[in-house]
Parts: sequence; structure tokens; C-alpha cells
Amino acid sequence: MRPFAYERPTDAATAVALASVPASAHVTAPVQYKGGGTTLIDLMKLDVMQPTTVVDITAIDDEAMHRIVPSDEGLRIGSLVTMAKLHADPSVVRDYPLLTESLWQAASQQLRNMARLGGNVLQRTRCLYFRDTSYDQCNKRVPGSGCAALDGSNRGHAVLGTSDQCIALYPGDWAPALVALDARVEVLGRTGKRLIAFADLHRLPGTTPHIETSLSPGELITAFIVPGGPRRRSLYRKIRDRESYAFANASAAVAIELDGRTLRDVRIGLGGVATIPWRAHRAEGMLRGQELTEANARAAAEAEFGDARTREHNGYKVVLGKATMVRALLDAQAMEVPR
Amino acid sequence: MSVGNTAAPAPLANMGEPIRRSESVAKVTGRLVYAADAPGQSPLQAYFLTSAIARGRVLSIDAAPAEALDGVVKVYTHLNAPRRIATPYTQKGGYASDTNMPLTGPEIHHDGQIIAMVIAETYEIARDASHRIVTRYDATTPAATIDSPGVDILHPDALAEKEKKAGDFAAALAAAPVKVEGVYSTPAQHQNAIELYSTTASWSAGELTIHEPSQFVVELANGAAAMMGIDPSKVHVVNPYMGGAFGGKGFMTQRTALVAGAARELARPVRNVVTRDQGFTLATYRSETKHHVRLAADHDGRLLAYGHESWEMQSRHDDYPLAGFGVTTAMYGKPAILTRVNLVKADRQTSGFMRAPVEMPYMYPLESAMDELAFALDMDPIELRRVNDIRESPIDGARFTSRSLMRCYDEAAASFGWSKRDPTPGSMREGDWLIGYGCATAGYPTHMAPATARVTLSADGSARVEVAGHDSGQGTYTALGQVAARELGIDPERVHVAMGDSRLPAAPASSNSLATASIGSAVKLAIDKLRSRFGNALPDDRDRSAAFARLGVSEIGDLGEFLPPGTNPEVLGMLRKGQVPFANQARGDESKNGKPLMFAFGAEFVEVRIHRLTREIRVPRMTGAFAAGRIVNPRTARSQLMGGMIWGMSSALLEATEIDEKRGRYVNDSLGEYLMAVNADVPRVDVIMVPEEDPEVNPLGVKGIGELGIVGTAAAVANAVHHATGKRIRDLPIVMDKLLA
Amino acid sequence: MNECAVDRRTVIATGAVLAASLSLGSAPAGARASMDTRTTPLTRDITLSVNGTDHAIRVDTRMTLLDALRDKLGLTGSKKGCDQGQCGACTIHVEGERHLACLTLTVAVEGLHITTVEGLAEGESLHPMQQAFIDHDAFQCGYCTSGQIMSAIACVREGHAGSDEDIREYMSGNLCRCAAYPNIVAAVNQAKNEMERG
Repeated sequence: MRPFAYERPTDAATAVALASVPASAHVTAPVQYKGGGTTLIDLMKLDVMQPTTVVDITAIDDEAMHRIVPSDEGLRIGSLVTMAKLHADPSVVRDYPLLTESLWQAASQQLRNMARLGGNVLQRTRCLYFRDTSYDQCNKRVPGSGCAALDGSNRGHAVLGTSDQCIALYPGDWAPALVALDARVEVLGRTGKRLIAFADLHRLPGTTPHIETSLSPGELITAFIVPGGPRRRSLYRKIRDRESYAFANASAAVAIELDGRTLRDVRIGLGGVATIPWRAHRAEGMLRGQELTEANARAAAEAEFGDARTREHNGYKVVLGKATMVRALLDAQAMEVPR
Repeated sequence: MSVGNTAAPAPLANMGEPIRRSESVAKVTGRLVYAADAPGQSPLQAYFLTSAIARGRVLSIDAAPAEALDGVVKVYTHLNAPRRIATPYTQKGGYASDTNMPLTGPEIHHDGQIIAMVIAETYEIARDASHRIVTRYDATTPAATIDSPGVDILHPDALAEKEKKAGDFAAALAAAPVKVEGVYSTPAQHQNAIELYSTTASWSAGELTIHEPSQFVVELANGAAAMMGIDPSKVHVVNPYMGGAFGGKGFMTQRTALVAGAARELARPVRNVVTRDQGFTLATYRSETKHHVRLAADHDGRLLAYGHESWEMQSRHDDYPLAGFGVTTAMYGKPAILTRVNLVKADRQTSGFMRAPVEMPYMYPLESAMDELAFALDMDPIELRRVNDIRESPIDGARFTSRSLMRCYDEAAASFGWSKRDPTPGSMREGDWLIGYGCATAGYPTHMAPATARVTLSADGSARVEVAGHDSGQGTYTALGQVAARELGIDPERVHVAMGDSRLPAAPASSNSLATASIGSAVKLAIDKLRSRFGNALPDDRDRSAAFARLGVSEIGDLGEFLPPGTNPEVLGMLRKGQVPFANQARGDESKNGKPLMFAFGAEFVEVRIHRLTREIRVPRMTGAFAAGRIVNPRTARSQLMGGMIWGMSSALLEATEIDEKRGRYVNDSLGEYLMAVNADVPRVDVIMVPEEDPEVNPLGVKGIGELGIVGTAAAVANAVHHATGKRIRDLPIVMDKLLA
Repeated sequence: MNECAVDRRTVIATGAVLAASLSLGSAPAGARASMDTRTTPLTRDITLSVNGTDHAIRVDTRMTLLDALRDKLGLTGSKKGCDQGQCGACTIHVEGERHLACLTLTVAVEGLHITTVEGLAEGESLHPMQQAFIDHDAFQCGYCTSGQIMSAIACVREGHAGSDEDIREYMSGNLCRCAAYPNIVAAVNQAKNEMERG
């Protein structure tokens, strides 16, 4: 870790003022926000991130950033709410099983007590070549340096949304649920607040994998808004090598509405297979209005992964990703949903 | 002891009491002092910089940006490293677990070799400084996997004795009616004890004190002395407790002398705590192996031929051969046998101990092949073992001192409910989950090494046991206390055991599951001597003070010296010099000159559940039954056997150190990426201890259980996966990728 | 209270560095140039409240709570097993919640109540969870035990010890390489009953 100045402002505007400094991307900015610190401190120890100032945002005295507020339009979740607090919230447990499940299946309770949701969606990739600065090839860490994962150890790397510059996986669990639900992100910048679609928060790597989000340096996520009301027939299926405390090999967040066996609405977010939280639009389009059968689900999954690009060790993710989507849909269909 | 406490099984025949660990309170209150906790020295902090390439040379290394930081005391590179004297490999009369001596030149021989050592006033500064050093390399393409171009495959004559042979294998194989054949592989794995490797070195008046987790403090003290060029009496290693070891802390690494050398030069105590990722390359590990196994039998299942050729990954500079045929050939029948081992020399660090280092990689392929044979014969796998159960070695006819394998199978099978198994693969299901049952044999030789121990009895009826042994969680303190108490006829609470100090009477490495048998035997011999001082009957509570008064002392001590059968007294001298145990121990899997085979056995049963769509594998329950001679403490024994079984499951399904083949580097070098079992992976483990008496193995009748539990589990899991799916996965770990393919 | 008493020189130094980084703003886009030329640690004087006692200490802003507990306060019960949030051996309580000390900046917990394993027993009287760990042999080497016990107590308080399955899931953030897991579950069950009674 490089020496850094530590600031702990008590209002959001001060935090934004401290952090609004020029940088090519928010992740490389010299001033970084710290919520729970579970990603930032880890990456600072590894020398992957080298902020000169850390702005601790946990003391910001803005109630809206710390609260979960259900309303008729949906759910408003402050960005400083911890993962643990959201997954234990009784109304969320009842109304949004996919949000609860995607959180308690992530990390460990200690990490969930620390990690704030704003930081959770911004967690960085677990790509081993990104996290270890002794590898000189990583376009995400050192633009233009190449990508060691392309011909390296890539069992854990993405098969959807990749580019020739980067195949790093987006590792989170909650974000696939948010993207499935058309969530919006409330962001505070120097010029005020703006709302962006959650689907627009993360950027495909393309030729600029070091620019991971659409946030400008200094912009602070203040809340998430999940529109559309309760999603009681929803769930999160996470498939991993060990039973707990592991990142997804593949995951699917689904929320469906059924008329008999017919899918009136279907929303699918995928994790563990893509460079960003992945909305399975193609599969949804094929399934909407159709009967939910295993065969139909398989056909939709087949289509969704039609453009998948695999490398030496991650071919199984295509098979697994499809199977996970099918399983999640069938499990959601079989759910007992209280009226 | 509360009723229904499965952690404390009631003792059966030939078992001691399930008493609590003597250090329990210190462990649950955080008061126990591990090596890196040693207080009061405010040491300088050492932080290693390790190589980013696996093979090549350092062209230049610029430490100036690191030295420019306030608080950096010194940056050592190969240009200015502390002076050390090279010591040979442990098995060649020296003390090094890996003879590649860093910071002696620009050459890089493996990934993550030390290329600089920063010494700073604080850990934060040292770590920051290491990141600022600028290194330029001349990299050469490494050969780092068994199948990489550029490895050298050797077949040393020195291993001929380990290559067991019997009969005419080719003819027997050709004539046999039923045959199976397969190529199996086991991955590189790392011990990953939760306690990190560390060294704290301080000098005072020419004497060196080292706090470092070590499974062999006598070796570490002698080795450090050799490398520092001082008399061994000037080195004091202190390491009373270890936070797990599993082989990783077996023999001295090159780190110790680097840290001690810096401390000597700078005249300040220096501490180094190796980071988790550095631990993957700065200690030994379990290297990958490959096996070609052929089994043939008659229609009744009687083995006719067993062929086994293996390939073992090695460093270029040292050989750590396993050649586990002494174990595999002691399992079954009287087949014709042909075995061969190949050493694959590559650009890797030297491998070494990891729990059941020989048995785990060699029994997995044998026990998988036995299951394949049972399937080919349409025979129950337990019955195949029964048909081939033996009383004597198929190699030379040597007998076993005792062998309870089939009793273990019968007890475990009954408890597990094996009779409910439908043998057809893929036939058992519950909802979307495919269910598989599998079983396999665990076998572990009873090894013994020379050991010495001092036992001192006081007039007040308390006793002291002093020995340079170790406890990395096995329960050695407790077990030795129980051994002494039993012999002395006093309560275990009245026995104080001191260990983990190189100045105590010499003890062998805590490896090969030999600690209790060897040290415990020395304790018993010491007490036998004490008894003779009192006219062959130790005084009891009533006449103790009178007896001591007659001798005119308040306490009386004696040294017990245990020589394993077949060894000569010179081995005690080797022990005191910290010479490795291989040369001076009695091996349970060696039967030459009429010496019998000595083995502990077990039978392990596993249920797996595999989702029909996504194919992840879960293990809802495991059952193991084990017979290992006298069980000194059923509580700690059960915990060890259970832990071993969980290790085996973890080894079968999760653990593999991934190697970037092109770069020759370990990539998943963290606990987030090198997956080991967590609590949720282990719903239920049943451990059955089958009573067994074997007064012949050693004075205590103890066989050793630290490694037995892991030995059969991986094969049992693989066999259960086959039963669930019909797929035979022959390379570990069995991850979902292989079942989805 | 010297809560975040801002060192004037720190601010100036920060400003200087920021100014320097601005002047480097024309460096190639995204170049991983460390714009930091700072060579001196930034320290703060803080008061740390641990196990009911306040400690005035000076810390490098980089110092983790784990290192501060161990090296500044001599509370070595909390262990370093990975130093990157992957093993749970450093689990402590911050305001009664289980956190990982290795990913916690010391400066960030000033004013918060911290409990470590050393703060559980009252005199020689063990916490029911400590006693349960002994009774069920829920450890072997003992190195992960402090973290397991801190985690287990929180697990019960959170209401996540309702079933064996819950206990296993909510104790999975604490690795035990000796693999005492089934014994840990048994210990949590025993202590849960006593904690709920007590």
C-alpha cells in the first residue's frame, strides 16, 4: 500500500468535492471512495490500486443513503446500506427473493457486514493477472500491455461480452439481479444528481477495458431504485465449486410471472459468465409469451450463448451457463409463491 | 463430558480416555502464543520480493525507489545479500528442503523465487517498498508441467529398491480374463495451513534465537547453525505451538537464514511473515503425479496382475521421490507385479511433504482402478477387497503385524447403509439430484523414528515430560501427557508436557504420523528407567514423599531413548544433529530381512449428489472406519481422522494449484482462488474407531492416525461420482467442467 | 476528543500531490503511472476502543486494524491467515457485528467499539461459546479458533444459528484447515442454547 491521506467527510457534497479530480477513469483516479473497503483495501495491499487519498464515505450523515425504502413505485436502497442489512430486510426477503438470495450467497457474513451496496456493484474482477502486478500484461491495469489471460489460465474468465483486449469476468452476484429488474442508479456529481440505468453502469471492455463504468471520477453512487414492485416469483441460482464462500462459476437471477405455464413476463440476469452483469435479452425475447418448458428454456439459453467466445479452459462455462439458466427458470416455475 | 457429545467417543477396547486438549483454554481465549505472536522485540520487518518469471535471469534490479522511502533500512538483492553457507538437501546429509539458494546470483529457477528482501521499520513500509523495486529480466521459456516440452524425465537407479516386482507381469496380464487399465493424475496442491510461514530472528552475544513454525525444531536449529556458520549449540529454536503444518513446515527453507543473516548484519531482531501468495512458492508443496495402472483378475475377482508406472513432478535441483509402491503392493492379493517410477525434472521449486505425501497420490489411482475392476467383474467393490484380503506381502511373503481392513469395511458399510446401494450407475436419484455411493481403502504404514524424552517425577506427585517434539494440532501435548500419566499411575492433569524447543531432548520431525508412536515410546522408556530407580515399582500417593526422602531428592528425572526396531544406536546421534528421518527410521512398508509389514487400515464411504443439469458435486455424508492399534485419546483421534477425511474430500473435489503452462507460474495463489472445503461442504462425517491390539509395532502399540483419514477418500469420491453418473473421472480434482464435458 | 484531528501538513501535502498529479494529467491516458511521489508515511493520532479500554495510538493510515491490534496493542489473539479477507482468522466485532480486521483501516474505526477474543471471558469465566468449543473439540491447531469463536457468537446473535444448515452456511467465512467443521457446528448449537437462556 502506498501512503495515502485519509478523509472522513460527514456530508456527500464534501466527499464529492474531495474526489472530483481529473483521471482517465474512476477506478484509476488518485482519490478513491471507501465504503466497506473490502475491494479497495485488498487491491491497495496488492498495489493494484494506488490512491493518494482515500475518502471514507461511511460517516456521511445522509439518511437516504443508509435506508431501504419500499414504496409503490418500487424499492429505493441507499448505497451505504450493507449487504447484510439488505439481505435480512423482511420486506426484501418477502418481496424480492432474488435480491436476498444473491446477497446471502455472496462472500461471507463478515464481508457482508462491511461491504456497502454502492461498492458491491463496483467490485473489481478476480482475474488473476489483473490482481497480481507481477504480470506485465493486463490491459485493464496497464492499458496497451496485452492480456495474459487470453493464453493463460482462464477457467474463471468470461465467455460473454469479451473482447480481444480483455476477458476478465464481472464477479458479483447482486448486480445480475439488479440488471434483470431494470434497476436505476442515482449518482451524485459536482453538478448534482443524475439517474442512470443500471444496465448502463458497467461498460463492456471493448478496446478500453480499464474504463469499467460510466461513472466520472468523483461521482458517488447514492442509491439504487428497483422499479416495478414486488417480484415474488424470483430467485438466484449460483453454481460454484464449493458450497459457500466462493465466486460463481455461473449464476442466474430470474424473475418471472406466469399465466398457468405461460410466461407473461420473464427477466434474466446472468453472473459468472460475462464481463459485465449480463441481461439475457435474447433469451427473454424468445421466452416471453411462451410456455415455460425445459425444452423452451434450453432453446432460449442456446440462443443467449450463441455468441459466446471461449478460450482454452473456460469452454465449460457455456454449457454450465445454459444449464444454470434453465435450472433457475424451472426452479422459479416450481416455487411456492404466497399470494 | 455431556451425553451425546460425538466429539468425545466413549473408549472401546485398547483406547484411552477422551480427555480435552491440555491447551484448550489458551486456544479459545486467544492467549496461545504462535511463532509470529512472540512479544516484546519490536523487530524490523522483512518483506520478500519474488520473481515474476519461472526461468531466466535478473538483468537489473533497481532498489533505489524503495530505499528512498522513509523507514526503509536496507534492501538486499543478489548483489549484497547476507552471508550464508549453502547446506545440502535434507536427504543428502544437509538441512535444506530446497537447495536453490536465493540472492546468491541472478538466476531464476522457479516462479516466485526470492529476488530481494526489504528490511524496514514497519510492515507497511516494507511492503510498499517491495512494490517500488524495478526489476528487468532475461526470461527463458519454462518447462513447468509434466507434459511440457523441455522437461527431463529420469529413472534413477537409486529408486530401484522402491520399484516392487513379483512374478511375470506380462504373462499374467496376457492370460487374465478380466482387465482394466487407466491413466490417472493428481494435481499440484498446497498445504495452506491457516498460520502463515514466518521467521523471527534475534541475536544476542553471538547466539541466535529463532521463532518459526517448524515440524522439526532440531533440524531447524542445526540447519540454521550450518547456514550461519556457527555451532549448533548457539542456535535456539522456539516454537511451542503451530497453527497447522500438514508438511509445509517440515524442513528448513532458505527463508530462515536470509532473515537470520539480516538480523545479524543489522544487529536488530528481524521478522518476516510470508504472505499467503508467497507461501505457494517459498515452501514445499505436493507436486502433481500421473499414473498408468493396469489390473487383471480371474472371474472370481482374484488379482492376477498389477502394473503401475508413475510420473512425479520434481524441481531440477532436488529429488523428492515418492514411489509409493511399498504401500500399494501391500494392499491386495498375490498378483504378478511390475512397477516403475519416473521423475519429471522441471522449472519448479522442490516438492515435499503434504499430508499422506506418498499414500494420497498412489492410493487414489489404485483404489479407483479397484473400483473399475469391480465394475468390470460386476462384483461388489467390498467383496473384491474381501477376495483379495491378505495376511502376507505379495512381494516377499512378509506377514503383517496386524491387519483389520475387512473389519473396517464391514463396520463402515453397515453404518453407512451400503446395502441400499443399487449398483447400476445413474440409477439412484432424488428429484433433480443424482446420487452415488462409493468406497475405498485407506492404508498407512506405521513408521517410527528414533526419539528421546526426559520424564521428571516430583515428590509432590506431579511430572514433567520434556521433548523437542511438536504439536500442530494433532493433540501431541495431550497424548504424551496421557501416555506418561498411564505409565506413572497419576492423573493426566498432573503431567506437564514441554515441547517445541530445540534445547529439549531431541525428537524427530512431526511427519509420517510417527510422533505419538516414537516420542510416546521414548516417554515410556524414560518411565521404565524411573521405575527401576524405585525398585521396579513407582511409589504411589501414600509412600511417595517417603520414597523421595529416602533418595534425598525432591524430583528425579530420566532420559528415555527409543530406537525403532532394526535401527542401531548411531541413529540417535543423527537425530540430535537433525538429520532427516528417512535414513534413520523404521518404515512400516518395508519388509526386508524378515521384518513384518506394519500398517493401519481403514475403509471410507462417501455419498455424492450431483445436479442433473449443472453438475456441481456435493458430499452430504461420509463414513470412515479405521483400525490403528492403540488409540491414546479417542477425542483427538476422532478429530484427526475426521479432518483427514475432509481433507480427502477437499482434495478430490476442490484443491488444485493451477499452473499457467506458458509462464510456468501458479495463478490461484490465494485462499479465495485455491479452494479448500468450508463448513457448508461438510454436512456429516461419521468416524468409527475399530478396536485393534498390536503390541508388536512399538512399546505403546500405537500405529499413527494423522494421515490415515485422507488416504482413501479421494478414490471413494471418484468411485461415487462414477456410480452417480457413469462417468469415470481419472484426473483430480473432479470439478463440474469434467462432468459437463 | 481528537477525532480526525486533521494534520495541517497532511492537507498541504495532499494538495501538493494533487497539484502534481494534475500537472501529470497529460500523461498517456490510463497509464498506470503512480502519480504518488510521497515517500513518508502519513500518520494519525487516534483513540482506539478495544474490549472496553481506550488506547491512544499513532498509526500509519495504511495500518490495518489487525496489525494495530497485534503490533500496537499486543492483542495477538486475532490471527493473520491471508490478510485479504479470505480466511476469517481475524474476525472481530465492530459495534457487535462481525468484521474482518485485515480489511479494516485502523483510522476508520476510531470511536467505534471493538471486541476481540481477548475480551470475551470475564476473568477465568469463559464465554459459553468458548466453553462449547472446548467441549466439542471444535479446533485442533487453534489458529483459526479466535476468528471462529467471534464469528460463532455473532452468528447466534444474528439469528443465523437456527438449524445445522444455517450454521454451516453462516460459518463458512471461517476456514479451518484442520477441518473441525462438524465439531464447530455442534459447539455453536450448544452455546446457542446457553446464550439464549443467559
